[in-house]
Amino acid sequence: MSDISTIPTELGVAEEWQLLNGSLWLAPESLDIRGMATTMLARGARFITITAMQLPEDEATRLDYHWDLNGELLTFTSKTADKVVPSICDLCPAADWIEREIHEYFTVDFEGHEYEPLLVREGEPVGVLVPEEDA
Amino acid sequence: MSYRIPMGPYHPALEEPYKLNLICDGERVRDAELRIGFNFRGIEYLAERRNFVQVIALMERVCGICSNVHTLSVCQALERLAEIEPPPRALYIRVIIAELERLHSHVLWAGIAGKVMGFKTMFMTCFLLREKVMEALEKISGNRVNYAMNRVGGVNRDIAQPDSVLAVVDFLEREVNRVIIPVFASNRTLLQRCAGVGVLTQEQAKAYGVVGPVARASGVPQDIRRAAPYAAYSDMKFEVPVHTSGDVRARLVVRALETLESCRILRQALKNLPAGDWWGPTEEVEVPQGTGISRVEGPRGEVLYSVTADGENDTPRRVKVRTPTYANMPAIRLMLKGARLADAPLIQASIDPCYSCTDR
Repeated sequence: MSDISTIPTELGVAEEWQLLNGSLWLAPESLDIRGMATTMLARGARFITITAMQLPEDEATRLDYHWDLNGELLTFTSKTADKVVPSICDLCPAADWIEREIHEYFTVDFEGHEYEPLLVREGEPVGVLVPEEDA
Repeated sequence: MSYRIPMGPYHPALEEPYKLNLICDGERVRDAELRIGFNFRGIEYLAERRNFVQVIALMERVCGICSNVHTLSVCQALERLAEIEPPPRALYIRVIIAELERLHSHVLWAGIAGKVMGFKTMFMTCFLLREKVMEALEKISGNRVNYAMNRVGGVNRDIAQPDSVLAVVDFLEREVNRVIIPVFASNRTLLQRCAGVGVLTQEQAKAYGVVGPVARASGVPQDIRRAAPYAAYSDMKFEVPVHTSGDVRARLVVRALETLESCRILRQALKNLPAGDWWGPTEEVEVPQGTGISRVEGPRGEVLYSVTADGENDTPRRVKVRTPTYANMPAIRLMLKGARLADAPLIQASIDPCYSCTDR
């Protein structure tokens, strides 16, 4: 069993894991997304998905990265105000469709991952899940 | 000389749409491009405009085969948020319905595989067997597709006559052992069609994060029922069949063996069904602010639901669904590379894809 207690230190964050509603959460002020992916993959974790959500308060977009490590569900939370985050697709091919879908739902750009239509057709507008007042 | 063959959106073997552009050198597939979205219904968008009770009914419509998996996942996520523990009888009933669903899904797929390979007797036999499971589900729930069994904190219906379901389990186990396993394990024609075809290596399976029988057929022994037990799975004894060859045959055999393990789980759950209530809370459930996450091992693999509530409205802020076919389908490209063109429909079908789940 991999010891997850050292992951926050490896990522240079002060926050600790919190067990909440079915997952262990790490929600630092600032998350090195590519560092997180590298750390998790080095431990043999399986990337599950990213949950994206438009936040109403500050209009930022929340991204929850879900990983499975020996059956334990680990979730890293990150926020982006300008809707630009680094892609992890080159490190983890499983992220390909997920990042493309989040771009189509919330117009988040994943740096280093050229967008190619997934669920919407070529040339159709993206931002399917952006609240109407923000679209 | 290379040429491109568009396949779909009407699939040559399955009844749902998606598109594949096959780039071929002669009879060999050099590469493939996948196009999905033909069944996109915006279900996650709709979920943000329904109350929590309506969301359960909505999510049951994500898939016509594993509908129960979706209501179970969303109810578990809401129960985690609201800190509700369903009664033991409800947890056992959830296991029974989940395993009956796995049985009919796996037997259906065995039939489809037979049909794709031109083995139509197998198709007819499997659908006859599957019908017994469908009848059992209909007797319990009144429904054949959307069983509406799950509610927050419990289940909507009891299983009053477990012995009648046990008789179906006995029959199915006998027939799977008599017909399906011998055919998939040793039929010469079938082996020639499946062995060494559409290989996904263990390394590729891990990199692409594939799940369920597709992962287990590539030597990745993950199963959420075992790794992170939910409902009453921690009380059940069962094996997780794993194969290492990663080909179409391995996927066939893993699913066939899993039907026997489902029978084993069903027998334990039906014989040890605890007494007591099964409906859970009778008052309206308050869902506090936060995000609840739930994972369930569906017939095609791990399903993840993330449900976020703001604690003020009776509609969720966000419902995220990660279905197993969504995780498995990108790996088709790897399975197809170097394959014979004639094997392309079978390779695609071998992941037991659900396009409705994928597109949502």
